[in-house]
Amino acid sequence: MNSIIGIAVKDIKTFFREKGTVFWTIAFPVMILLLFTAIFGREIPFNATIGVVDYEKDSFGVTASIISGLNETGVFTIRDFTDKAEAMEELNATNVRAVIIIPKNFTQKLYVSQASLELIVDGTNPDVSRLIRDGIKTFFSEFYKQFYYQNYGINYTEPITLYEEVAVVGQQIGYKENIVPGMLTYPLLFSSMVVSTGAIVFEREKGTLKKIRAAPIHPINMLFGKTLAALFQTTVSIIVMASLAIVLLGPRLNWNAPLLIPIFFLGSMNGIALGLIISCIGRAPQEASNAATTIAIVLQFFTGMYFPIDYLPTYMQQIGRVIPMTYAAQALRDIMIRNATLNNLILPMLTLTISALILYAIGVLLYKRWVEK
Amino acid sequence: MDQSYSVCGRLIIEVENLVKHYGEVKAVDSVSFCVEEGEIFGLLGPNGAGKTTIMEILCGLRRFNHGKVMINGFDLTKHSRKIRGMIGFCPQETLLYDLLNVRENLAFSASLYSLSSRKFKERVEFVSTVLGVGEFLNRRVEKLSGGMKRRANLAASIIHDPPIVILDEPTVGFDPNIKREFWELIKNLKSYRKTVLLSTHDMHEADEICDRVAIMDKGKIAALDKPHVLKKTIGGEPSIHIRVKESQKRKALQILGEYKSTVIDDEIRIFTVNPWEIMNEMSNKLSAQGVLTEKIEIVDPTLEDVFIRLTGRKLTEES
Repeated sequence: MNSIIGIAVKDIKTFFREKGTVFWTIAFPVMILLLFTAIFGREIPFNATIGVVDYEKDSFGVTASIISGLNETGVFTIRDFTDKAEAMEELNATNVRAVIIIPKNFTQKLYVSQASLELIVDGTNPDVSRLIRDGIKTFFSEFYKQFYYQNYGINYTEPITLYEEVAVVGQQIGYKENIVPGMLTYPLLFSSMVVSTGAIVFEREKGTLKKIRAAPIHPINMLFGKTLAALFQTTVSIIVMASLAIVLLGPRLNWNAPLLIPIFFLGSMNGIALGLIISCIGRAPQEASNAATTIAIVLQFFTGMYFPIDYLPTYMQQIGRVIPMTYAAQALRDIMIRNATLNNLILPMLTLTISALILYAIGVLLYKRWVEK
Repeated sequence: MDQSYSVCGRLIIEVENLVKHYGEVKAVDSVSFCVEEGEIFGLLGPNGAGKTTIMEILCGLRRFNHGKVMINGFDLTKHSRKIRGMIGFCPQETLLYDLLNVRENLAFSASLYSLSSRKFKERVEFVSTVLGVGEFLNRRVEKLSGGMKRRANLAASIIHDPPIVILDEPTVGFDPNIKREFWELIKNLKSYRKTVLLSTHDMHEADEICDRVAIMDKGKIAALDKPHVLKKTIGGEPSIHIRVKESQKRKALQILGEYKSTVIDDEIRIFTVNPWEIMNEMSNKLSAQGVLTEKIEIVDPTLEDVFIRLTGRKLTEES
C-alpha cells in the first residue's frame, strides 16, 4: 500500500508544481462553461418523441387525424399509450419528452369550441421543453383553424385550450441549471482521462518507469497509484468547477452529495481507465496526449454534456447511448434537476460500474503486456 | 571462463551461461561471471557490448532466454521481486522528478521499497553524509547542477539500503573533476560492505575503482580478472609512444622499420621487450635523420591495450 500512496503523492505534488497545468485545469472548464452558455442558449431544430394517451378514439377519426398530423410535422415522433400512468412512467424515464392527454368527449366539445387537452412537458431541459411546447401549441392552433373552416366554412382563430404542466418538481429550470450538471461531466471526461493518459507515458518517456519497475512492487501497484492521483486531480477539478459555477451562475440545483459522489467516482473511473488504455498504446507523450484530447473532444458531443443528445442526428444519439459517460451526464442532470432518488439511478450506476470494470481490466491487461515485453 | 569463479569470498551475484536475444541479434552470448560480496566489479566494453542488457536482466527489467542468475542465493526467475528489493539500480540517465525536491524524490523512492519513516530518516542521514546530498536536500531537482543530480540519483537508488548497487555508466558525461569525486563516492560504498556492479566504457574508471573487470565485446566476456592482472597477462609489455610532425610520420616509420610498430591516433607505438634500453637509441636515430620528436615516452599497458589485443579494435573508437 505504501508504494501506491507514494506514487499517488508524488504525482499530486508534481501536478501542483506545474503551475501551467493547474491553471489550465481550472481555466479551460470555466471558459467552456461561459462559452457554451452563450452559444447554446438558443433554439436548435430537433426531433422529439411525444407520448399520446387517446381516451377519446372517436368514430369520426378526429383524434386519429390529430395523431397522424403530429407525426407528419417531422418535429415529433408519436408513441401511443393506453393510460396516463404508463405515459408518465416513460416521461420520467426520459423516453418521451412530453405527454398529450386527449380526454373523453374531446370531439364533441371540439364542435362547440370547448375542447381541451392536457400537455405534460419534461422540463428537465428548458430548450427542449420550450420547443415542444411551442411546436404543439402551433400545431393545435393550425389544426383547429382547419377543422373549423372545413365544418363551418369560416375562419376561426381560437386555439384548443391546453392545460400545461411541467413534469419537474421544484422551481423553474433555466439554461444555467441545465448546463451546470453537463459541465460537471467535463472533469470526468477531460481531467481524468488526460491525467491518466499522461501518467504512464510520462514515466516511460522520462525513464522513471524503469526505476519503478526495478522496485519490488507489483506492476499493478503503479496503476493503482496513478489512479489515486488521477482521482484526486479530477476531484479538485470538480470542486473548482462546482464552486465557480455557483459563484458565477448561481444555479438553483439539488446538490445531493450522497448521490453525486458515486456518480462522480464511477464517471472518473471510466475516464481514468480509458486514459490508461490510451497511455499503454501511445508511444510518445505527445501522441498519447493528442489522442486523449481528441477522443475527449469528440466524446463530449455524444455524451450530452453541453447540449441534449436530442439535438444530434438519430445515429449519433445511438452512438451516444453506448458511451458510459452519457449515463454519467444524464445521472448528474437527474440528480441535480429532477431530484432523482437512488432507485432512479440504478441503471446508470450499474452501467458506469460495469463499463469502468471492463475498461480498467483492459487497461491492466495492456499495461501488464507492455511491462512483460 | 574459469577466471569468473576465481574469488574467495561469499558470492552475491552468480551468472551462468546467460543468453539474451533481441530478435535475431544475440545481445548477451553465454556470459558467466560471479561477484563477491563487498566487491566492486566492472563490466568494461564499448556501446552495444551487452553491459546494460546484463544489468537490466539482473534488476528484473528484462527477461533472458537462457542461463541461470542467482542473487544473494536466490534464483532470479523464481524470486524476482525479492531480488529487486536487494538491488539499488542507478541507470545512466537521471531518474528524478524535476519539480520535486531531493528529499521528496528520496521519499518517493523509499515508498517503492516500503521503508518506515524512522528508517527513511536514518537513510537520509546516511546518504547526506556518504554522498553529500545533505546540502541540497530541500532544493528542487531542476535547480541542481549536473553533479548534484547524479549524486541525488545515486542517493535515491540506495535509499533502501540494498546490499547490491548496480550502476550503469555512472560517470558518463562528467568532467574529470566530478568523475574523480564520483569514483570516491563509489569506493566509499564498498567501505559500507556494499557490492557494486558497474558498467563503463572508460578504461581509467575500470582501472581506478574496480576490484575485478570483465571485458565485454559483442555480447561475450573476452577476459575477466583484476585490472593489474589483465594488463600484465594480456596487455603485454610497456610500449614506447612517439609523436612526430604529421609530415614526418612516414619518414619516422621508415627509420624505425626494424622495430615492431603501429600507428594509433597521431602516435607511433613501438612494442619491445625492453623499452628502457632502446628509447634513447630511437630518439638519436630520429634526430640524426632530421625528424623532430614532439613526445617520446614509455607507457605501461592499459586496459585499452588489453581490449585492443583481445579484439583488434580500440575501446574508445566505439564508445
